[in-house]
Amino acid sequence: METVNWTSYDEKRVKEAAESVIKYVDPVMLHFIENCVSCAACEPACPYYAVGEEYGPVNKAENFRKLARSQVAILPRLFPWLFHAGIPKTSEELNKWAEMAYRCTNCGLCYVTCPFGIHSGEMIKALRSFLTKTGRVPTILKAMIDMEISGMYAKIEGFQKLWSSVLEKAKEAAGGELPLDKKGAKYLYLPSLAEAMITPEAIVASAKIFSTMGLDWTMPSDPMSIRAPVGALAGDGAATKIIVEKIYNYIKEIGPEYVVLSDGGYPYTTFRFDLPGIVGEKPPFKVIHFVELILEAEKKGLIKIKKGDEHVTWHSPCKMGRFAGLIEEPAEVLSQASTNFKKLASHGLFNKCCGGGNSIACIVLPTMDFIGKLTGMQMQISKEELEFLKKLEHDMHIAGKAKIDEIKETGAKIVATACVGCIHTIRMNAQVYGLDVEVKNIVEVLADKIEKI
Amino acid sequence: MDLLDFAIYVAPPYVAAAFAFGASYRLLKYLLLWKRGPGPEPRNRGAGHLVKELVKTFLDPIIETAKRKPHDFVTGLLMLHVLGLIPLIFLLDQHIAAFAYWFPPYALLAPLAIPLSSTTGGLTVAAPFKPVSPMQWGFVDSIWGPLTVVLNGDVLAVLAIVGTAYKIGDKIVRRLHGLSHVRIGDFFDLGLLLAILVTGFMAAHHMPSGDIVTYRTVLGAHILLAELLIAVLPFTKFWHFVFGFWYGKLHEWYDLKYKRGV
Repeated sequence: METVNWTSYDEKRVKEAAESVIKYVDPVMLHFIENCVSCAACEPACPYYAVGEEYGPVNKAENFRKLARSQVAILPRLFPWLFHAGIPKTSEELNKWAEMAYRCTNCGLCYVTCPFGIHSGEMIKALRSFLTKTGRVPTILKAMIDMEISGMYAKIEGFQKLWSSVLEKAKEAAGGELPLDKKGAKYLYLPSLAEAMITPEAIVASAKIFSTMGLDWTMPSDPMSIRAPVGALAGDGAATKIIVEKIYNYIKEIGPEYVVLSDGGYPYTTFRFDLPGIVGEKPPFKVIHFVELILEAEKKGLIKIKKGDEHVTWHSPCKMGRFAGLIEEPAEVLSQASTNFKKLASHGLFNKCCGGGNSIACIVLPTMDFIGKLTGMQMQISKEELEFLKKLEHDMHIAGKAKIDEIKETGAKIVATACVGCIHTIRMNAQVYGLDVEVKNIVEVLADKIEKI
Repeated sequence: MDLLDFAIYVAPPYVAAAFAFGASYRLLKYLLLWKRGPGPEPRNRGAGHLVKELVKTFLDPIIETAKRKPHDFVTGLLMLHVLGLIPLIFLLDQHIAAFAYWFPPYALLAPLAIPLSSTTGGLTVAAPFKPVSPMQWGFVDSIWGPLTVVLNGDVLAVLAIVGTAYKIGDKIVRRLHGLSHVRIGDFFDLGLLLAILVTGFMAAHHMPSGDIVTYRTVLGAHILLAELLIAVLPFTKFWHFVFGFWYGKLHEWYDLKYKRGV
């Protein structure tokens, strides 16, 4: 059986995939499935609603509800036409469902806008899980999941060279040998291969900040993941568990008090909030983002942040802000770092989404080309998948326009953010809309401004 | 026995039983699916933050809808819910009298009663004496005073009817646009609601004719349809009022505001 399949319809496989949906149903998911009144208040909040009304969260999530009703409820199984229950019946319908499921960044704007607290993004994640089992999963995403859990990525020469060059630069920035895999260090810094690819300067800046602050720190000699857990983006719970447990065991071997991340995207939320649920125990360490580390040190009077005058703004990644509560902290640090820091119009709980999260920016054709050049491997994809990816890229640009517009309004020359996906998306969309702006991880903006007291 | 007698004296126990069964079934599912597991250390933002955010969790969607979908805010929320159904169902004087017949403590809400029409409302301002009634309380003896010129059953019913009709129209347009989230159940729910509102309005105005048989039939139909709504409530989207709204927002508050410190 082909793991990736965009061309045919295998009824047995689709039915088995549908049956697996039941494992997602807990009381919270049951609420999401049962209690939507279709008021559609969520629609204008979704970045993909700008592409078309069928991409409103209420409509996209309806496919998962339809699927769930066909599996977990009694009356809808008996009268599917009356209760809108069922599974896709054709290859075209499966492709349409995939198109809908990959128009969701899981940014959570629908969640906080819904009068009933329904998180459509979580249902769409479960829908992706179903689709992955049917073979409707983007080739590059499936390849990344497989490489991540097998560790194959570490054997690819292009990635090895990239990682070595980043470590070399980090060593220079830290002013000495990097403390790699040092057991018993108080702080364990966990960068990913994706950071080395998209924001290598963030790893360099992080090493510099640790060194400037004089902290007892360490980092892995090899990347622990591509960007763990990539499997979560396709709703692959098993792959998620494998890679998270692998990293968890590495962390326990090192035995730090704090795990520090510079990536404020889904890896931060996963390790800060989801980890106990995945590994089945309370971790013996705390997970923090660099912003928390810097802010606490500054408040304790251990460091000082030098003030500059760069025209800088802050884009709050959904996983760091809306889903992790770090909304004002980065703005507070940046306002100390520059007299010309300006907040975006939507700054806060309802911060606009970049438009490329939840794997979208990582699977579009320019990213495939970029990874292909880096690794020397070109992926073969079907005509159907190619069409899917071309349209997705086009739609991503539309979905991300509102973000570009509000960045323009600030007049900022630097967009500071913290998520690899946001950085990659905003860079691509800025190019499309002719916005001349540098997009950096916040640690890059702060690295030269921190002074130890 | 006519329709009105059946609705008042026969149907209620069956309606209550259907509601109790449905509500138990739905709540039991939540209990059976509940699993305890290790959770993350919550981000501690303090009690003041949590209280403020609890209020904001409920208010934010209203504010966002007012900003982003003003037509839905006016028709769906203000006209249908806030000004229409909620005061109409729970505070209309005739409803208080009926509910108090089945559940006597409900009579405690009598001082908040809303009169049926602007005529009765107007009497609170214009009448030279306090109207008397052989019933348990005077229908226009309301604390709302001159406000009852607009705060009365007629005005609220019209607002609720317009709000419901707007929602039905919106669903039809969405169906025509091929959006799959609009289901047959939506039309049943909204159609039932509209029928209750229209029969209630008709009964209040002795429409289509003033004879007693017609009046008792229309009023009986109004009450029976309302009882049907209560009986099917746990199996329909009306459940949001009893459970979905409260559970959803409280869970969101716990998830985002308490656990994650947003």
